[in-house]
Amino acid sequence: MGAGFVVGVLGVLFLSHAAYSTIQYRSLLKITEDEFTGPPINVVMELIAGLVLCMWAALTVPGKFLSILPQSDENRVVALPSNLDFMIFNHRGKAFPLSIDAKLK
Amino acid sequence: MVSKTEEDQVNRLESQVENGGGGEWEYLCLVRKLKLRRSYNVLKYGLSILNDPKKRSAIGPEEWTLYEQVAAAAMDCQRLDLAKDYVKVLLEKFPESKRVGRLEAMLLEAMGLWEEAEKAYSSLLEDNELDPVIHKRRVAMAKAQGNISGAIEWLNKYLEIFMVDHDAWRELAEIYVSLQMYKQAAFCYEELILSQPTIPLYHLAYADVLYTLGGLENLHMAYKYYASTIDLTGGKHTRALFGICLCTSAIDQLTRGRNKDDKENLQLAPLSALALGKDYKQRAPNKVSMLASTLRSLKLSS
Repeated sequence: MGAGFVVGVLGVLFLSHAAYSTIQYRSLLKITEDEFTGPPINVVMELIAGLVLCMWAALTVPGKFLSILPQSDENRVVALPSNLDFMIFNHRGKAFPLSIDAKLK
Repeated sequence: MVSKTEEDQVNRLESQVENGGGGEWEYLCLVRKLKLRRSYNVLKYGLSILNDPKKRSAIGPEEWTLYEQVAAAAMDCQRLDLAKDYVKVLLEKFPESKRVGRLEAMLLEAMGLWEEAEKAYSSLLEDNELDPVIHKRRVAMAKAQGNISGAIEWLNKYLEIFMVDHDAWRELAEIYVSLQMYKQAAFCYEELILSQPTIPLYHLAYADVLYTLGGLENLHMAYKYYASTIDLTGGKHTRALFGICLCTSAIDQLTRGRNKDDKENLQLAPLSALALGKDYKQRAPNKVSMLASTLRSLKLSS
């Protein structure tokens, strides 16, 4: 958990640094009156590195993923709820009352 | 709908509480959420919580729900004295409540005083005409008195008003199956599958009824529905796997005289036999030989 968190923070720092460098690069271009065709190559590499780090952190920090398929081993329906609205008390269990001592109060 | 994880959880909690490891309140909450009917355990553990004033105050305002749950469990376990005490406590706390009125009428039912219970239900119905639970209790009362045709009548009337009630459709289907009126039961299961198509157990019950009805078309349909059950349960449902094998052998028997071209290919049987073999090897290894001989006899008879 801790390592994933640190990696995530590092990825975010990379991304913000890349954004800052791009803004600086653009202001530099404004001074030299060149067109802005795209950020420089090292900024692009920094962006990719930040992306990879953030994605890795996003997948590891939240922990175990829950399964979503309804037929997976954990989610499959095993039994229906017993129809408690139609419960009758007239069954054979009447002959075997539960023998515990009565409640206090 | 009880999924596998929930079932494991309930069983784990149950064994934990039985061995004295605490966690009764979680167990009772889970049983209430999943609507399981484990009255012995609910009564035992509910009593242990309610008799202990410390534990009772620890659950706070939910103790009244617990009273209701334990009262129903007491009626199921035939401890009517306990049930009467609990209903009295609830009446003191909530004197004008319809929910407690229903519980009182249920107590009269459990004691076998059918006329008084009928009167109580009718008076409750006068106040609110369309209370589904009271209608259902009336059906249950008719069923308990052995008046199955009356129960069917009441249930049909109820379903005319409340067509969406899945529990009622399921109850009607089960009553029809118990009376061997399989066509009507098939209709009820069709309604259930229409409204909740992702629950495999309805498909399974429908397939069972169709297989019981017999006849080539019904067997083909039953085959399809067993296949859809296997699909929706990820291949782990033993009964559906057996159903496929039985359907295949029954269809083969019926179409024995016909041409090979007329026969549709029913290719799922060997696959399901394989799956069954694997399952048995894992869970009941001493029965694998019995399984093999049964499957062989099914194929031989075709």
